[in-house]
Amino acid sequence: MAVNTPLTATSGRIAETPSQTINRREVVKFTFNGNQYTAYEGDTIASALAAAGVDVFSRSFKYHRPRGLMCATGNCPNCLVQIGDEPNVRACVTPVESQMKVEPQNVFPSLGADLMSMTQMIGRFLPAGFYYKTFIHPRQMWPVYERMLRTAAGLGKVDEESHPGYFDKIYKHADVTIVGGGPAGLKAAQTAAKIGARVLLLEEQPALGGHLRQSTELINGQPAYEYAAALAAEVSQLANVDVMTNTGAFGRYDHNWLGASSGNRLVKVRTGALVVATGAYEIPPLFENNDLPGVMLGSAVSRLIHLWGVRPGKYAVVVSANRRGLQTALDMVKAGVHVSALAEMRAEPDADLIDQLRAHNVEIFTGWTVAEAQGSSHINGVTLRNLTTGATRNFYCDLLVLSTAFLPANGLIYQAGGRFTWSDTLNEFVPAALPDDVFAAGEVSATHTLAEIEREGELAGLQAALAAGLGSEQDRQRADTLAVEVEQHREARQAWSAYGLIQADAKKDFVCFCEDVTRKDVRSTLEEGYDSMELLKRYSTVSMGPCQGKMCNMTAMHVCAHYTGKGIAETGTTTSRPPVTPLSFGALGGRIMEPVRHTPMHEWHVAHGAKVMNAGLWKRPLHYGHPTQEVHAVREHVGLIDVSTLGKLHLHGKDVPALLERMYTNRWQKLNVGQVRYGVMVNEEGIITDDGVTARLSDDFYYMTTTSEGAAAVYEYIEWWLQSGWNFDVHVLNATDLRAAMNLAGPQSCQVLQKITQGVDLSNEAFPYMGAREGTIAGVPALFMRIGFTGELSYEVHVPSGYGLRVWEALIEAGAEFGISPFGVEAQRVLRLEKGHVIVGQDTDGLTNPFEANMDWVVKLDKDNFLGKPSLMMANKAGAQKLLVGFEMPDGTLPEEANQIVRPGSGPIGLEIIGRITSVRRSPTLNKVIGLCWLPTSMSAPGTTFTVRVKGELKTGKVVPLPFYDADGAKLRL
Amino acid sequence: MILLTCPNCGARNVSEFRYGGETNKRPDVNTATPHDWAEYLYMRRNPNGMIREWWYHRAGCGSWFIAERHTKTHDIIATYLWSPEAAK
Repeated sequence: MAVNTPLTATSGRIAETPSQTINRREVVKFTFNGNQYTAYEGDTIASALAAAGVDVFSRSFKYHRPRGLMCATGNCPNCLVQIGDEPNVRACVTPVESQMKVEPQNVFPSLGADLMSMTQMIGRFLPAGFYYKTFIHPRQMWPVYERMLRTAAGLGKVDEESHPGYFDKIYKHADVTIVGGGPAGLKAAQTAAKIGARVLLLEEQPALGGHLRQSTELINGQPAYEYAAALAAEVSQLANVDVMTNTGAFGRYDHNWLGASSGNRLVKVRTGALVVATGAYEIPPLFENNDLPGVMLGSAVSRLIHLWGVRPGKYAVVVSANRRGLQTALDMVKAGVHVSALAEMRAEPDADLIDQLRAHNVEIFTGWTVAEAQGSSHINGVTLRNLTTGATRNFYCDLLVLSTAFLPANGLIYQAGGRFTWSDTLNEFVPAALPDDVFAAGEVSATHTLAEIEREGELAGLQAALAAGLGSEQDRQRADTLAVEVEQHREARQAWSAYGLIQADAKKDFVCFCEDVTRKDVRSTLEEGYDSMELLKRYSTVSMGPCQGKMCNMTAMHVCAHYTGKGIAETGTTTSRPPVTPLSFGALGGRIMEPVRHTPMHEWHVAHGAKVMNAGLWKRPLHYGHPTQEVHAVREHVGLIDVSTLGKLHLHGKDVPALLERMYTNRWQKLNVGQVRYGVMVNEEGIITDDGVTARLSDDFYYMTTTSEGAAAVYEYIEWWLQSGWNFDVHVLNATDLRAAMNLAGPQSCQVLQKITQGVDLSNEAFPYMGAREGTIAGVPALFMRIGFTGELSYEVHVPSGYGLRVWEALIEAGAEFGISPFGVEAQRVLRLEKGHVIVGQDTDGLTNPFEANMDWVVKLDKDNFLGKPSLMMANKAGAQKLLVGFEMPDGTLPEEANQIVRPGSGPIGLEIIGRITSVRRSPTLNKVIGLCWLPTSMSAPGTTFTVRVKGELKTGKVVPLPFYDADGAKLRL
Repeated sequence: MILLTCPNCGARNVSEFRYGGETNKRPDVNTATPHDWAEYLYMRRNPNGMIREWWYHRAGCGSWFIAERHTKTHDIIATYLWSPEAAK
């Protein structure tokens, strides 16, 4: 679309007043729907567009009906727009910025001529539940339906490539947190602060003052907005009050933990006491075409006039059910709007304001309401109806203003476990029971007059400070006195809310604007039997859109109560869940933090061409370019691998053997100083959870290693047994980060080690297989363990972390003459597979016991007591149904890990899964494909063949005995 | 986010802790029947009310301790380290 001359921001403006927040000397340009517009600094996107005469902001979700500004407060779905790559931005509360590119949402192909609006012509074919019923048959068609519906569904576009900036979290702590900076919240803050509480005041709007910001009603001779500004300034200056504006609390969680959204910051608050002074949402009544552009709430009109100096229309009709509606009508008149008629739903409206309105030639209809709006893309007329006689009158208008009902913004109170009851006299919910540390004040408790709002605010501030443990006996007495006064005034309250009409012949009277649910949809939902509010919500989708019930919940309850014949109290409401106010996923996600763990030798690996892989949080070398050559180096000469990621525990105390006896399945009482033993840990269910070696280094000092992944869990598990009643003299230290570890493996490893080791006799006799010795290497104190995951002569060397790199480099240098090669995880996997060693968590899973993993030898069922003993006794008695076995692929096919082992059977492709491959590699040493797999015990004998499904093809594998390499362990033992 | 009072460190956000499950009594492994053992492994009271449960101060002192918590209200009436008396 061509970019025209900017549409001016001035055309729809009224004269400057002190309540306005716009700066008419600063003009910014932006685009909406491809057209260029101007705005004043201080405008929101919506106020600027409204001033320029834009009346259609979006298309509705289901029928694509044109929608205009309705609440101008950030509560309704009508002005959601896309800004760049950010969808669902509320235009009415988002400040306009220079060069902003604003696009309407849910329009096809354009905002003005929307083809999808055809759906409203066939509206009678799209009742509640239409999609459920229509697109479920035939079942096979669902993928087609789904693709089609996905195109039509959803709001806005998400750019998956976009990087929407920096998000982070803010943590706050307070004695008293007050949500809502209107008169109730300000009074509460002032009162709590005076008692000495650390007060946090959260306000969703850009300034404190609440509804008074857009009110010119006189308070002690002063306009309300001035009064509110003065009170706000006074509170903000208090040293112990922390004010956050543009910050919407979206959830109250256990123990007074609050979540709030402040731009791209997520605010997390822990507070002693909470005051909910969130006010009330003004909501529209039910009538035909109640969604037409030009139909606005009274609070929206007040905000347009008093905050942004926008004249909301030229010819208006007002429907009112409270004093604020009359005040709004008066404000409109003063702003140059021609108000031809005012329908007042109360029988006895406030005489002072009625007289003033009459003086401005506004025709007053007491006991009347609105029945219908007329127009296609904008309202051009309204039908008023007498509530008693049913008589009607028609008026021309381009603006219909509705001030008829309030819904308490009580989501946070519900989330805190508070309860509300329905008041038939007030037509609103009122608080019935609140938790001890949560208080409500102001319009959220259905109190709408300023003196009462402020009294409740003061009481809540007092009570909250007292609940937070502050205040004196005098404060407590004051609170008691005030509580009595508040209660008396509450009993004398007048209703500020009235219902809209239930008109059986109405067709487009919308209950829910987000999801386009009409009264008729609610009725048919009820007729189909979904007759509770929670079921009604789920089936009709009423209240499930972006506004989350703010605009529709009350109306839905009213309609439900009407058709079921139950009262509102019995009908009840739906559960309130966070977020009560919109927030972005970015804010929830916060700063992108991916902690990583590097071993002391990490930089060396990177500098030597390592391809780095993730192993939990660790970064490990997968290989240094040629994993096969690394395997050959270990088998033929010598290799060095960084195993610093192993879990390492220091176990001190005289009862370590007794502890090990219980933690492991095998025996530990006779492990001598200088010996290492392999152990398997199982949980109480007998399932393998970890494995590793433990060395006895002195009478009462043992050194345990665990798998890299299991380090923390094993430590915590041992600690749990030690702290929960095992009366052992053992102290455990998690030394994983204290020591670097490396494994020097290969037939020439001893020769390499010899060159730089002192204090250890490395001869086979003095330091045999499964021995542990302490000495020095390259001048560094070290622990040596002669163990071998790779199947070759090998030494695991553990040194203080700070010396890890030094020792590594010394070994590499010493090994140069023998052709030493660093090797990574890939070569290690191949080497251990050739030996048939199991990797816990890869070859075993959450159901594997040691018998099934062919580790009978490591389980000593005749031990007195160890973890999992009864489970393993039972498993042993039952016998293994499946076994982990070694296999080869005679035809050389290389399956993938997790490929399924199958046999003919039932199922869609005529195959039954009977096992799977857990490890498989082409062995460079043996030059054939070898692996480990799960098979039924009946098929586990060596020589048995089985069928494995490799990329859809059926291949044959053959069970062979383990290990594949060096069966008698001669290479290890020498 | 509930607040838990570690017996060593004081009140902290629950994100510092690891949950350890309901307390239960381990049967004698040599005399337990399969039924006893299954009860110990798999059966939990899971009450709507007060529960005694294990917590581990993972991001703190490393203590395993017992909390008495109401599962519906999250009121925590006591936290303490294990002792032979507490186990009864």
